[in-house]
Amino acid sequence: MSDSGQVILDVKDLSVRVADRQILYGLSLSVRAGEVHAIMGPNGSGKSTLTGVLAGRPGYEVLSGSATYLGRDLLAMPPELRAREGLFLAFQYPVEIPGVNNVYLLKASLNALRKHRGQPELDAFEFLALVRGRFASMRMDESLLNRGVNEGFSGGEKKRNEILQMSLLEPTLALLDETDSGLDIDALKVVADGVNALRSPERAIVLVTHYQRLLDHVVPDQVHVLAGGRIVRSGDRELALELERRGYDWIRGTAAA
Amino acid sequence: MNAASPIERIAASHAAVAPGLPGGPRWSQRRSGALATLVARGLPERRDENWKYLDHLRLGDFRFDAGERGRLTAGELHAAALPSEGARRLVIVDGRFDAGLSDLTPEPGLAIEDLTALLARDPASAETLLRAPAADADDRFALLADAFTGGGVVIRVAAGQRLARPLHLLHVATSNAAASHHARLVIEAGAGAGLQLVEEFLSVGDAAVFGNLSAELCLGAASDMEHLRLLRRNPAAAQVETWVTRIAAGASYRQHLFVLGGGLVRSNSRLMLEGEAADCRLSGLYLADGERQVDIHTQVAHQAPRTRTVQDYRGIATDRGRGAFNGCIVVHAGAPGADASQTSRNLLLAAGAEINARPQLEIHVDDVRCRHGATTGTLDPAQLFYLLSRGLDPATARNLLTYAFCQDVIAGIGHPAMRAYVEDRIAGALPERELIRGLA
Repeated sequence: MSDSGQVILDVKDLSVRVADRQILYGLSLSVRAGEVHAIMGPNGSGKSTLTGVLAGRPGYEVLSGSATYLGRDLLAMPPELRAREGLFLAFQYPVEIPGVNNVYLLKASLNALRKHRGQPELDAFEFLALVRGRFASMRMDESLLNRGVNEGFSGGEKKRNEILQMSLLEPTLALLDETDSGLDIDALKVVADGVNALRSPERAIVLVTHYQRLLDHVVPDQVHVLAGGRIVRSGDRELALELERRGYDWIRGTAAA
Repeated sequence: MNAASPIERIAASHAAVAPGLPGGPRWSQRRSGALATLVARGLPERRDENWKYLDHLRLGDFRFDAGERGRLTAGELHAAALPSEGARRLVIVDGRFDAGLSDLTPEPGLAIEDLTALLARDPASAETLLRAPAADADDRFALLADAFTGGGVVIRVAAGQRLARPLHLLHVATSNAAASHHARLVIEAGAGAGLQLVEEFLSVGDAAVFGNLSAELCLGAASDMEHLRLLRRNPAAAQVETWVTRIAAGASYRQHLFVLGGGLVRSNSRLMLEGEAADCRLSGLYLADGERQVDIHTQVAHQAPRTRTVQDYRGIATDRGRGAFNGCIVVHAGAPGADASQTSRNLLLAAGAEINARPQLEIHVDDVRCRHGATTGTLDPAQLFYLLSRGLDPATARNLLTYAFCQDVIAGIGHPAMRAYVEDRIAGALPERELIRGLA
């Protein structure tokens, strides 16, 4: 059933180096429209490198392989173009930008994307109504609107702010880099609701996570285990539960074989 | 063309110009004396510790022969200057007070005097009023101004008087050809007086004018003054200024300095907190872009108990611009309980740009609180990537982060037109600009 959607992201044999250290070793991953994929793996397995290289974070050297997004060479696109074409990265550690207020970034970002899509920019009134609604559904205090981007936000507020941006920008491909880490159970639920609300037949979501617990709330179509810079095992939701029971050492043991 | 040294050209210019200046024999003598002292000391050179960051070769290229004064119409002034927005406009054109362009409507407790007229009418009181520069190596451009004293303005606010309207003092350089102009400025606030002064330095035309200002500011006991200063002459212009500020007991002085124009700018400020609990807050923002050079020196002397200063300077250098900030705090033995803080934060936006920040502290008494810090950095790549990952184009993202670097300083400008000008100059045309300060 899930094979019917268009291929959104197609990563083939991707090898990536950061500074002098190779992190990804021939990673392949294909994600279709309508699907939610979870990528799990121990610390240092290359999870953040994968999302970073896909979003265009500087500092990576692609040694070989390819990544296409909607059939286009993703790695050749500058990061702002990836964003405008509908790729969204929810950061593991959202950066604080004092002096740039949150609402400014939201509107500049939304209108940059709308302009790219040939849609009219939202006026102040429409924008305000939209953003206030999203703040309410993320259960975020409106006082955070006029604060510096992520400035003085708690860990949970930063993650909610990422999901809020995602819901506003309505990406075609959402990459969530350990968005669940450091969240209490209430915040986890809010974040999961935000992700579920985005699920649709046109979109694809890749959840990168260390733990299984987010997957109790956002049920993935496929689960991949990343170890040693490549995907060593793929399966359905059961794989995540098994991983939780047996630990990553189990995978390390089988991967070597 | 400039075979003679700058000091020789200054002396030659003086010989030609000085006989035509007002003030009679008393002032001829005073000017010649100042020139002789200057010639004996020589202009600052690169080997002088306090002048090493200024391009002396470029300074030497300016024409020190006095050159012609331009004429400025009210229409030209209106088009070039920031709107006065209800403030009283006072205009100095090429170093001379222009009564015709100034608003001289009487106001109780406010006296405005054209220095050229005062020199002619009453040379003796002009001499008392315009103090000769201190025997201090850093006042050499004040000596130069003294040697060419011919005009400027005196502004006095009487004791107990609070001005109803802010003053908007314009220093306009209009010459069509390279020239040099020297002006004097005296501001006195009596005890308990209050005023707001908006000062704007601008060029009409693109000539390479050397402008030299020597200014004195005296704040009487328990007076207060807010001083907004915008320097935005053309990139061919050089501007040197020397301020001597005295702050009496319980008085409060707040200055916001924006140096966004002028090819070569050197600002010297010496502030003396002479009375108990005198309070002074200085903030500054300078931009050195293109080939521009900005060199800011402050020297704050705490001379009385429980005096307080807060200094917050930001510098931005890009292209091949060069900036320097040198802030010296001296706490004298007679100033127990003094509280001084100084920060200098600097942002380098290009590999060819340069900023030198040098804080200095000299403390001669126990029981003081002094803090200072200087940092110089570049845009944070993590912040930049975050903005790009949200679809902003690289130029907008860089402008936005540059704006963010000094957002708090800009947000504090209480003059809307000046704030908009500074925003534009620092951050260019940002999209969604109406939201830059957030939702109302």
